[in-house]
Amino acid sequence: MAKAKVAFFDFACCEGCQIEMTNFGDAAFLELLNHIDIVEFREAISEKTTEPIDVALVEGSFTREADRARLEEIRRRAKIVIAFGQCACTAGINALKNHQKDYKECVYGKDAKMPHLDSAQAQPISAVIKVDYSAYGCPVNKYEVLQIVSHLLHGKAPVVPNHPVCVECKRRETVCRYHEGDHCLGVVARAGCGAPCPASGIPCEACRGFVDQPNETALKKVLKEKGGLSERRAEEKTLMFTANQRGATTAKHPEKSPALAAPQGGRS
Amino acid sequence: MKGYCACGVADMAVKPDPGSKDKGPNLFLPRKADVLRAEQTTPYEKHFTLRLADQSQLEFQPGQILEVGLMGFGEIPIGLASSPTRKNTFDIVVRSVGRVSTAVNKLEAGDSLLVRGPLGNGFDLDKLRGRDILIVAGGIGLCPTRSLIQYILDRRKEFKRFILMYGTREPKMQLFLDDLAEWRKSKDIELHETVDRADPTWAGNVGVVTKLFNKVPIDPETRVVVCGPPIMFRYVISVLDSLWIPRENIYVDLERRMKCGVGKCGHCQINDKYVCVDGPVFSFAEVENLEEAP
Amino acid sequence: MQEQFLADKAFEPFLAKLIAAGPVVGPVGKRSQFVFAPLRSPAEARLDYDVTILPPKKLFFPPAQDLVRFDGDKVEGCIEPVAMVVFGVHPYDVKALDMTDLLFKERNEDRNYLAHREAATLVAMTPQKASSRAFWGSIGTGVEPKGHDALLTKVPGGWIYEARTPKGTALLKHGDFASATKEQSSAARKAGLDAGRKCSANLKHPAAAVAHRMKTVFKDEKLWNGLAEDCFSCGSCNTVCPTCYCFDVQDRWNLDQKSGTRTRYWDACLAEDFSKVTLGANASENFRETKGERFRHRFMRKASYLNEKLGGPACVGCGRCSAACTADIADPVRVIDTIMGRPS
Repeated sequence: MAKAKVAFFDFACCEGCQIEMTNFGDAAFLELLNHIDIVEFREAISEKTTEPIDVALVEGSFTREADRARLEEIRRRAKIVIAFGQCACTAGINALKNHQKDYKECVYGKDAKMPHLDSAQAQPISAVIKVDYSAYGCPVNKYEVLQIVSHLLHGKAPVVPNHPVCVECKRRETVCRYHEGDHCLGVVARAGCGAPCPASGIPCEACRGFVDQPNETALKKVLKEKGGLSERRAEEKTLMFTANQRGATTAKHPEKSPALAAPQGGRS
Repeated sequence: MKGYCACGVADMAVKPDPGSKDKGPNLFLPRKADVLRAEQTTPYEKHFTLRLADQSQLEFQPGQILEVGLMGFGEIPIGLASSPTRKNTFDIVVRSVGRVSTAVNKLEAGDSLLVRGPLGNGFDLDKLRGRDILIVAGGIGLCPTRSLIQYILDRRKEFKRFILMYGTREPKMQLFLDDLAEWRKSKDIELHETVDRADPTWAGNVGVVTKLFNKVPIDPETRVVVCGPPIMFRYVISVLDSLWIPRENIYVDLERRMKCGVGKCGHCQINDKYVCVDGPVFSFAEVENLEEAP
Repeated sequence: MQEQFLADKAFEPFLAKLIAAGPVVGPVGKRSQFVFAPLRSPAEARLDYDVTILPPKKLFFPPAQDLVRFDGDKVEGCIEPVAMVVFGVHPYDVKALDMTDLLFKERNEDRNYLAHREAATLVAMTPQKASSRAFWGSIGTGVEPKGHDALLTKVPGGWIYEARTPKGTALLKHGDFASATKEQSSAARKAGLDAGRKCSANLKHPAAAVAHRMKTVFKDEKLWNGLAEDCFSCGSCNTVCPTCYCFDVQDRWNLDQKSGTRTRYWDACLAEDFSKVTLGANASENFRETKGERFRHRFMRKASYLNEKLGGPACVGCGRCSAACTADIADPVRVIDTIMGRPS
């Protein structure tokens, strides 16, 4: 099998998800390089490309009209586009500003009027281009990204979990935050991270967004009744990562999407 | 490879001992089968003729299922589409819908895949022998029933009158064109075909499959096999009721999300029945009171 | 078999010798709760535990278990059991293992579970405490636990050890045991009988009546949708349940992209996607689309569907689901009270 050409791109984000990919302490990433060619990745290499690519991992959200053309250009060149990290998937914490009016003044003070700081509502990249798959999380789970890429190399649609973080907490026997008088968003948060936060005694903030059908009414109820949050805090709790997802159940994951290669298993 | 598990659940309290090996059979270990023939019969469906790689015979009953798969991709349950009376090889028809079926349907003659089975309960042939037989098949429902059709044709003397009603949405959705051509000419089988929507190539019946009952008299002692989409199913049952055919003489072939195929994983459950081991063939009397049945 | 007595001061040396002889898994503390984990020293064991987060089922049917491994052309099974002692299992968990033993054995023998189960020696223990949500004193009372190799009971001054199988007898050589006196034996029996009364919650209705009523309320959509209104479909009730055994199977490739594994993962019938099938071209069908249908399915399984096979309900009253449910809607005692109290 010819090596697949993979490129990273970024829009409104901290590039932390790309940094996460350089964080492999073991040989995992190097071994993957036997199967892919990374043709653009500004956290690690200086090369850029205008060639067609197999997989585009696009980090960051869409907040400026000026970015539209570049996103469309990536889509034209890429066989598969993956929304890489929560900013690209749901606009992540960038969407916080969608609920503020004076954010520019608040952040930039007297420079707020400068033209390059002009930006609109934060939106997922799917607002502009067709996205084939999503790698959720703030940051992404690098092992899950390996799995996604591995599946695509074989022409198989990646498997993305649609169950709440609770499942992963229970599987690793984490003492529930609610049992220690705390609150947690794990009941509605999409799993796939391995639930490291509650295991360290920190509530889940739903950094991978909601599951497809979150029970938001029940969430508010338990945040108040069991988590001891005020009405306002319970309401605000879901602003951080899921501001753009509230009140709307997300579309189902597409089952039929482009794939890279013919299956290998055939002649085995 | 440590830490490669994305969800983090692979850490367990006591690691398995790679030195120890259980001698018992592993229910999940598949067998290799070679693809002898692969034919794309419709835009979605592919017809495979297979043979076990060790050349051994696959012993099965019409109506039983196989778990078909590829390592790395997974497995899907598929009804066997040929009769055990045709030795050496067996047929399956795979419709491209998900990860596994899409991968399997890229295979060609000369490739190989993995199978587990046969699994589940097929048709109770003892209850069908010596009787008039009517098979009502809709769409892809002809695949598992083809196994029974071939069986009856190969042992024609053991059965009395034999009728097949086959309905599809459009003429181009018809499966097993060679078989249909042969059956149309055969005196051993009364074939009645219909399509929901005709095209210029079609000169036959138009309308839903139940309309065929107006033309074909059916004896109330007939044993009936129904296989097709849930909607067809409900209409056919009401016609059979009006013909005074007892519900214990009606057999249905059900589909659910069978995953393990051995009655453990729970995905195919309809009320308290596991389709993969209690079925997939049930008498209608067995399932008519199951609230979760179609 | 004559019951054996082990004095308090001889207990730690006994457990230490067991640990030295091979892996011993027992209850240990985790923050404010308890889990079964490999014991490194006798001091770690918390035999005064009330309930563990996960039942001991995880030792034989782990949350993720490889079924088959492959490397290119080669495909092989990987049933690799570990001979371990599981120490201090409460009788309700033994009953649950009896059920999973039967269910994995019937019709098609699942060696991937049974081999692990057979390799283990199960030392049960009469509970010293009950969790606040436990109701094991009042459910399946006609069903006796039977899958353990020995039973340990705390009595004044020491422990009574009752070996039930040769595997249980084999452990006697590690401790300084003496034949139990009549008084010691009767103290152990009394402790066993008293244990059930430690539960604060109680199921008031006989299993057969519940099983019957479950069938008559099956179509009461209002009832089920009401009970499941706050359900998060998180499957926590399934995940912590000692009698749940449903699983999903997923394949993955290793980094070399040619070898890999087929693995089974615990699944949950309360989860949204449990009964969903793909029909192609982005279409799918969910056989249990609503929270109410999924909630009902779990209760039918626990209180009705398996009763005939198991001789009683598929619930042992451990109370784990009640405690694990953040929305607090899973408690079988309350749900069954609601169902039984409903006019038919």
